[in-house]
Amino acid sequence: MNRFVMRLRQAAEALSAFMMTALFATFLLQIFSRYVMDEPFGWTLELCLILWVWIVFFGAAFILRSEDHITFDLLYLAVPVGPRRVMALISAVAVAGTLLWSLLPTWDWVSFLRIKKSATLHIPMRDIYIVYPLFVVAVAAAYIWRIWVLLHKGIEDDGHKEDAA
Amino acid sequence: MTLAFSLCLLTIFVLAAIGTPVAYSIIVGSLVYLGVKGQDVAMAGEQMISGLFDSFVLLAVPLFIVAANIMNASAVSERLLKFCVATVGRFRGGLGHVNVVSAIIFSGMSGSAVADAAGIGRVVIDMMRKSGHYSGGYAAALTAASATIGPIIPPSIPMVLYALVSNTSIGYLFLGGIVPGLLMGVVLMFMNAYYAWKNNVGREESVPLREIPKVTMQAFPALLMPVILLYGIYGGIATPTEAAAIAAAYALVIAVFLYRSLSVKSFYEVMVESARPSASVGLVIGGALILNYIVASENIGTTIANALVGIHVAPLTFMFGVNILLLILGCILDASTIILVILPLFIPTCQQLGIDLIYFGVVTVVNTMIGLITPPYGILLFVINAITRIPLAEIIREIWVFIAALVFALVIMILFPEITLWLPQLFGYAG
Repeated sequence: MNRFVMRLRQAAEALSAFMMTALFATFLLQIFSRYVMDEPFGWTLELCLILWVWIVFFGAAFILRSEDHITFDLLYLAVPVGPRRVMALISAVAVAGTLLWSLLPTWDWVSFLRIKKSATLHIPMRDIYIVYPLFVVAVAAAYIWRIWVLLHKGIEDDGHKEDAA
Repeated sequence: MTLAFSLCLLTIFVLAAIGTPVAYSIIVGSLVYLGVKGQDVAMAGEQMISGLFDSFVLLAVPLFIVAANIMNASAVSERLLKFCVATVGRFRGGLGHVNVVSAIIFSGMSGSAVADAAGIGRVVIDMMRKSGHYSGGYAAALTAASATIGPIIPPSIPMVLYALVSNTSIGYLFLGGIVPGLLMGVVLMFMNAYYAWKNNVGREESVPLREIPKVTMQAFPALLMPVILLYGIYGGIATPTEAAAIAAAYALVIAVFLYRSLSVKSFYEVMVESARPSASVGLVIGGALILNYIVASENIGTTIANALVGIHVAPLTFMFGVNILLLILGCILDASTIILVILPLFIPTCQQLGIDLIYFGVVTVVNTMIGLITPPYGILLFVINAITRIPLAEIIREIWVFIAALVFALVIMILFPEITLWLPQLFGYAG
């Protein structure tokens, strides 16, 4: 199981690195087309923006470790294990609960966007924005897993540092 | 303030205080707001993702991160340091001056204080400790303080974020940061000279003058980078976002072909390690986009502006009030959170009081950078502690004089807007 999860994580990292490289290369291509060829491609900018939103939400869902997040953890780290576990539980329940609650309406909005196409690449906006519901599901799942671990194993060996969320 | 908005703020503060990532706290708070208001909860996701998709300028954020990481992974920092040692290392307290000067040069290529501290900062701390003239705590504290210059001298990720929330020109903001950044360098070098004089710090063996041309030649391609960036942006050749990509490409070219110090494997690692902060900063930006939408629909900024204008607050009093508040917030909050969430609240007031938004932006970004080294929550202290294993208590003991020096520079910048506005006006800024 752990090996499988590790493989998945490596795959997610590889995909993120690929998207990052593609963003960088596409942007350079755009500069080249604008200044050297004097004939901007147009589609390059849109591809960059697509890659950017995917890097953010795909990355947040699958490659960010808990210590990568911008967090205010002074209080959390200062209290003893008991209250810390309660705090972690409240966080996890709040995030998982509200994200799941927003899932269906969000999905309705995203799937409605199949009729709207992007400006230059003519990709349905649904296929671009689908990364957001994916992010919602992945983060909610990671926090539900965390609730289970917190309830059954406690805070010490909850794999906090390796957690996907 | 409506019930929905009060509940939204309460949720964000409680969740963030108990250790929920800031971005998730904001998302949950916004969902609570939309739920209580009876609005469509899909609005949260819509504001986040379409806001990120529509902002061309934000592409500068991942590109600046890539550029800084490529430079840190290659031998660029070492060559720059050799150059600094050869030039300013010969004075008393020399390595301390090397620390500040290398931070200033490096800040002309990187837009992130954390990248500066983790990159060139790590190397310079080692040098200072090995020389035996400086305590670990002093070396670490000076490095943390000089890394705050990174996002003040262009390029700068925090200024891109400020431009996003204030609708000001990134080009003028970047120009506005140059003189304040140099001023910060001067006050830090002054403190270091004083320390060296008081503790009678010995001199390093100085590099013979005849070696300076060789060392300069080796560092030359790296030294050229800030020039290329600034010329690109202000010669009207490239936009700041394009300059970010050109910087990254240039760093890649010199690392691979000139210094031959970047393998395929380390390039892959650079990309993974660039994707992570891009995602975490991007997520907080997304959160700020929903929150700013809510703040705008509640008219919070205008309410604050009317209240302050109603009681006849003088612009200078307002500036000092905001800066004191930000310094306090900087002790506990992250800089990007302050810039994206707190600053927009004051922008309408600035407009009503006639305070220039470039001046306001540069000064408040300097303020939030000081916040990166103020305990208890100072991300630069944590980063340096993590990479050098110098205990936090030792760093914090030495950091106060540098905080005092930087606050002094901040006060000067508040009192004399010309320090910020002189260069932008020279380049045609009408404000």
